[in-house]
Amino acid sequence: MDNNGRRTFLGLCLAGLAALAAAAGGWPLFRYLSPRTNIESAAKVVIPAKDIPEGEAKFFEYAGSAAVLVRKRDGSLVALSAVCTHLGCIVQWQKEKQDFLCPCHAGHYSADGIVTAGPPPKPLPKVPFSVAGGTITVG
Amino acid sequence: MTLLRKIIDWIDLRIGVREVVQKELTGYLLPRNINAWYSLGSILFFAFVLQVLSGILLLVYYVPDAEKAFKSVSFIMNEVPFGWLIRMFHAVGSNMMVLALLLHMLSVLFMGSYKRPRELNWLTGFILFIMVQGISLTGYLLPWSQLSFWATTVATNSANAIPVIGPYLVEFLRGGVLVGPPTLGRFFALHVAVIPIGIVALIGAHLFLLKRTGVSAPPFGQKETGNQWLGDSYHYENHPGGIPFFPHFALEDLRAIAIYMACFLAVLFFDPYLFFPKDAFIPANPFVTPSHIKPEWYFLANYQTLKIFPNELIGLSLQGAAMTFLALLPFVDRGPERHPLKRPLFMACSIGGLLLWIGLSIWGHFS
Amino acid sequence: MRSRDGIRPLFVRLFALMLAALITHLLPQTSFAEGPAEIVCIQCHSGMPEKYSQPVKLWRGSIHAENGIACNSCHGGDPKDAANAMKPERGFLGAPKEPAIPAFCGRCHIGVMNDYLASAHGRALGKGGPTCVTCHGNHQVLKATLELINEKSCSRCHSFDRARMIRDAMQQTDGMITTAETRIIAFKKVGSDTEKLEKELFALRNRFHSLFHNVNVEMVNKESARIQADLKKIQSVLATWDDTGRKRKIAGAAALSLMLLVALLAHLLRKTFDET
Repeated sequence: MDNNGRRTFLGLCLAGLAALAAAAGGWPLFRYLSPRTNIESAAKVVIPAKDIPEGEAKFFEYAGSAAVLVRKRDGSLVALSAVCTHLGCIVQWQKEKQDFLCPCHAGHYSADGIVTAGPPPKPLPKVPFSVAGGTITVG
Repeated sequence: MTLLRKIIDWIDLRIGVREVVQKELTGYLLPRNINAWYSLGSILFFAFVLQVLSGILLLVYYVPDAEKAFKSVSFIMNEVPFGWLIRMFHAVGSNMMVLALLLHMLSVLFMGSYKRPRELNWLTGFILFIMVQGISLTGYLLPWSQLSFWATTVATNSANAIPVIGPYLVEFLRGGVLVGPPTLGRFFALHVAVIPIGIVALIGAHLFLLKRTGVSAPPFGQKETGNQWLGDSYHYENHPGGIPFFPHFALEDLRAIAIYMACFLAVLFFDPYLFFPKDAFIPANPFVTPSHIKPEWYFLANYQTLKIFPNELIGLSLQGAAMTFLALLPFVDRGPERHPLKRPLFMACSIGGLLLWIGLSIWGHFS
Repeated sequence: MRSRDGIRPLFVRLFALMLAALITHLLPQTSFAEGPAEIVCIQCHSGMPEKYSQPVKLWRGSIHAENGIACNSCHGGDPKDAANAMKPERGFLGAPKEPAIPAFCGRCHIGVMNDYLASAHGRALGKGGPTCVTCHGNHQVLKATLELINEKSCSRCHSFDRARMIRDAMQQTDGMITTAETRIIAFKKVGSDTEKLEKELFALRNRFHSLFHNVNVEMVNKESARIQADLKKIQSVLATWDDTGRKRKIAGAAALSLMLLVALLAHLLRKTFDET
């Protein structure tokens, strides 16, 4: 009986150590595979204002995702996320119609990102930007 | 506890798992005088699994492109959280595994376990040994450091000594006249796919043969140390009255693995660059040969042999002959005696060979 | 007789040729990178009387030789054509007259030249002031160190007092740069990404070196203080790396102990099965 008790005790200790070892190995593993977000998110994107003529749009990468700058016919600028709010495809700019089309399921957005047709549940999120001295700074 | 029991009952009812446990674990009896050297196989299996796991993790960030390989390794070492740990784990682990492999071979050698009917166990083990050498050699190039580049240049260059086909063989190995991006491509494929699959297959064969012939009893502490096998018919060597594999020997394996891991971690954390010559962290430069380029420690003897002989063909043939002799040892050494002290000629030869190997390695290190 | 005599050498020669081919083929082919062929300047000058051969000897021990800067890099000419090597049409410049020395060296060392020309030393050029080679020597140019500012050298022209003040002010910074460099190299050898630190240190060293040619004590003191402040930043980065190393060792010791404990428990547990 004494031997049995000792055996159970040692077995439990060993199981505890195994759990500890698994945790000690698991934590580095989790950190190793964790996405590295802190680098891209801080970056600002600078675009020369002359790159976007009236009625045109410019796509670029911002905060690890796709974004778009549009100069509307009235000359005002809009910066939006280019990721469709339906299933995450990248919207396309249609110059003739002055709106965005999502090629996946025909969602339509106005130049301001408001849903005009199709399945998207929400408007395209706005992206902050500022214009100074002929350059547009997004972020 | 009852829930666990119920789950086991449920499974047992369907696939008879208790029978498997009884047959393969608790009822699998090993010789009473089994010793710690027999755990080296388990250690090696464990070490190989660790290499595979850490290797897969490295693949997440490693880029097999000559332009980017060194940078990606540097990125793993410096930027990725715990990347240094995974990388050093893989690099130090390979050296530790080779060390364990050599000890495994030596123990089999000195206890005469390779003798018939286990010739095939030895042969598959020997092929595994060569494959481990191959996977080390190909892995050495992947960080694309000065060390990688020039060690690979020298290693592939030795094939030049083979008459007639030598020069073409070198070019074929490298994928070009010199070591370059094509070499990285093929070495990468060999290192992460071809050789690992081969090793897994051979481990399977090695274990299958072990299961079919049964574990050999150590020659120590027995009156009769001769080979019992008569060679007339297939015979599974069982050990009635022996200790069960589970839990008895499994615990001994666990103890051995934990000691191995402790040694491994000691090197990993306290002398991680023990196996790293300098130039390991300088990016490869095909136009600058470092002054003292040395292969890894377990190739030093081969390296020195090539250097001793003025003609590389002789050096290479000698090595080939030695390796062939070792591979075919159980077919050459056919005496029934297994106890090392009752085999003076064998002992003298093997200790002499071992000392020669160590001597050549040390010479190679300091030359 | 004649034909036999003729055949024999031919046969011997042929055999020797085959043997040579065989040997060269079988010999280890280990020479991957052979040095470039020696330039004609060195070939001729080495065999000339002392006056003309000494520059070669001196140059061999210089930092220029170490970095592959050969005769023609400074003196021009054609290093591959012995007959025309020293023709002005091939760009040969010869040795500069004393007032032309700073411009001669300054073709590569532009920043240093400007610093020098702006200093008291440079303003005295042509009026008995020192040129580059007065302190640095001509052919055996060594990597610049503080040792160049010494009593023997400076007191050839003036008292050492001010020079000593400048050297003392720079000594500490010099030591800090050397220590930082040694430590960065040590980290680089174990795979740390030292590129950023190396670049920073390189820029700092350049700033520091430009002080060597500035003989204004006050400015040297001020700039040294600024450089030291920047060096402290590098030192603090190195200190965090040291700290990381220590933490890793502690974690390693814990992991190692864990494994030893597992071994011990497995051993004890195994023993409980012995008695049954």
